[in-house]
Amino acid sequence: MTTTPRHDELGEVQVDLDRPWNVVVWNDPVNLMPYVVYVFRKLFGFPKEKATRLMLQVHNDGRAIVATGPREKMEMDCFRLHRHGLWATMERS
Amino acid sequence: MFSPPSSWLVGDDGKIVRGPFRSVAGQVELTMEPWESDALRAVPELLESVGRAGADPGADRLDQAPYPDDPQAAAEFRRLMADEIAQGRAADRSAFSLTVEQAPHGVTLSAGEAEAWLRVLAEARLVLAARLGIDEDGWEDDLPENDPPVALLHYLGWLQQSLTETLEDHFT
Repeated sequence: MTTTPRHDELGEVQVDLDRPWNVVVWNDPVNLMPYVVYVFRKLFGFPKEKATRLMLQVHNDGRAIVATGPREKMEMDCFRLHRHGLWATMERS
Repeated sequence: MFSPPSSWLVGDDGKIVRGPFRSVAGQVELTMEPWESDALRAVPELLESVGRAGADPGADRLDQAPYPDDPQAAAEFRRLMADEIAQGRAADRSAFSLTVEQAPHGVTLSAGEAEAWLRVLAEARLVLAARLGIDEDGWEDDLPENDPPVALLHYLGWLQQSLTETLEDHFT
C-alpha cells in the first residue's frame, strides 16, 4: 500500500483511497483494565504483553492505535470493539 | 480505565482472593449467594431500560459514533452495523437471562455463554456509570459505595474481573 502522492489526474483521490485507516481506542473511566487486555487478545490475537502495553497506552495517553489497514476491515474491528463496550473510532492513517 | 481495587485481588489475610468463577473442563462455573442471583436478575431489565441516544446518557455511551468529525460516514456506519449490534446485544441478554434463571446457587456456562456474560456485564457497568455521570478516572474515591447503583457497579466489576481471569486461562 503506497502513501507516496501520485501526480495523475485523480492524484489526491487515488492517494486517499490507498491510504489505510487506523482504529483508535480511547480511555474511559469504567472498563476494567484486565477486561480491556482480554478484549485486545481475543479480537486481535495479540500476546498478553502487547495487549497490556496497548491498554496502558490508552490509560496513560488517553488513546492508542490498535489496528491499521483497509477501511472495511478497520470498520469491522471498530464494530467488534463497540460490541465489547470499548470506545473506538476511525481515523486516517 | 478502571484498575481493580486490591481488595478484589488480595484478602485481609494477604492471600490471593479467588473470585466466584471457575474454569471446569472448557466450561465456566459460577457459585453465588441468593442475593447475588437477585441482583443479576435485575441486569437485563436495566439494559432494556436504556432509552434513546440524546435522552439517556447510557444510550449515548453504548451508541458510539466511530467517525466523530464526519456525520455522514457515522450515519453510514450506523446504517450498516446498527441491526447487527442490536441483534448481538439481544442474543447476549437472552443468554444471560436464561442462564441466570438456573440460579439461585450457581450456574454453569458454556464458553459462548461466558462471552455473552462478559459483554452484558461490561454494558451494564457502562450504562450505570454513564447515568451516574462518571466521566473521569478516580470516581471510585468520590462516590459512596453504599449507594445502590454504585454498589451494583462495583459488584458487577468484581464479577467481570473474576470472569475475565477465568476466560484468560483458556488462551494458554
